[in-house]
Amino acid sequence: MNKVITIHLDGIAYQLEEAGYDLLRAYLETAASRLQSNPDREEILSDIERAIAEKFRALLNSRKNVVVTKEVSDVLAEMGPIEADTGTAPGHDAGSADRPGATAEEQKAAPGAAPRKLYRIQEGAMLAGVCNGIAAYVNIDPTLVRLAFVLLTMLWGAGLLVYVAMAIVVPEARSSEEKAAASGDPFTAQEFIRRAKEGYYEAVKNFPDGKTRREWKRRFKWRMRADTDRWRHNWQNYWAEQAAMHPGLGFALPMLSVLHGVMAILWVCALVSLLGTGTVFGLALPAGLPQWAAALLLFVAYGILISPLKAARRVCYWSLGRPKWTWSFVFLLEAIVWLGVVAALLWLASHNSAQLREAIQAIPTLVHQAADDVRSWWQQK
Amino acid sequence: MNVNEKFSAIRKGMLEFLLLQIIAADKVYVADILKQLSATEFATQEGTLYPLLSRMRREGLLDYEWKESEAGPPRKYYELTAKGREQLRETQAYWNKINGTVKSLGQQ
Repeated sequence: MNKVITIHLDGIAYQLEEAGYDLLRAYLETAASRLQSNPDREEILSDIERAIAEKFRALLNSRKNVVVTKEVSDVLAEMGPIEADTGTAPGHDAGSADRPGATAEEQKAAPGAAPRKLYRIQEGAMLAGVCNGIAAYVNIDPTLVRLAFVLLTMLWGAGLLVYVAMAIVVPEARSSEEKAAASGDPFTAQEFIRRAKEGYYEAVKNFPDGKTRREWKRRFKWRMRADTDRWRHNWQNYWAEQAAMHPGLGFALPMLSVLHGVMAILWVCALVSLLGTGTVFGLALPAGLPQWAAALLLFVAYGILISPLKAARRVCYWSLGRPKWTWSFVFLLEAIVWLGVVAALLWLASHNSAQLREAIQAIPTLVHQAADDVRSWWQQK
Repeated sequence: MNVNEKFSAIRKGMLEFLLLQIIAADKVYVADILKQLSATEFATQEGTLYPLLSRMRREGLLDYEWKESEAGPPRKYYELTAKGREQLRETQAYWNKINGTVKSLGQQ
């Protein structure tokens, strides 16, 4: 027994099996997205609906009133993929010389060979399926994505926030078409992994002596850490002395938090704007600076800007050593400030969900670009 | 790569010319066009035809009118405009020229 869905095409109701309905919807959605820039989009879409309706009508009679999935799929294969007709500019025609050859295969691959989209995937999910969806989107093990989120949460506390925001913004893959779109075309993903592996071996070959390099890397990391610790220690001591002289400094905590929060919001907005539009609040990047490098720079700049604030806040906590009733008031203010920041971020996320999705979807391309750039840089050396 | 694949770009480019020719002969609707093309090397599908027809209409080469059909709702019947007929004449002349070139090259 199959569930039947009633639809209206060209003013007449048709009954379709549920899977067939999913196919039809995916076909029409793909058509709509391919005709995005076509000025006659609405008219072409209604032409197509009318043609499909006519084919359905031919299949039905007084005793048969449901279009089964197989028939829907046959009708859509007969319709063929929607080709965005962009005129007959010679350059374009030369570029798409192999397109008609590919259409035969596209037909076999069933209608709705939609581009990959970011969805949440419930099958095998731990919570809302966000990590699962990301893993399918960039084709890696979901456990790795989950680990990354846990690390993000432990290091900066941002992972949880990002997770909640994505659980709200990213839609769930419900139909089989959406599920297929969530993991996209397997060929490109495999191709990417193959290239990534190749790049890795290429890089390993270039190491003159693995042992010395590892040793050097280990020392370098250790030295960096020691420097950071010393610097932080000095800074905190300085502020602790100040605080000892002015106990009233404890009240600066909520003020510092407000500043920190505002900068965090600004930073998230800048990052989303960079990922989505390639500019930071409309300011174009300097020529020659790739987008992924700009994103990295944003991370570093944020870290540098925020570090004095963080140190100052820590000192404030220190100077509150002896519990007094007044401090509870300070902490209450502090909590309100941060709740405000979280609320502001969620509000921004829900009001700019389109831009946010665009930004999140730009991440894999950015990672691919970074990988490619680094690889070609290695080969040049 | 066989001949069929090699010439797919040419076939695609010529589709507009053939549509002008088919529509010039008689008022037709999309199923008629598909039927006429189906037996030839230029067999095509609605998915390709509708966007192409709508662009040709936008360029003023053809127009359509709604006509009642014996069974079911009215259909769009396409016909050429004056501009479309002019373009058909030019394309035919050009096609003849190309044909002549293809035949004459390498002959002497």
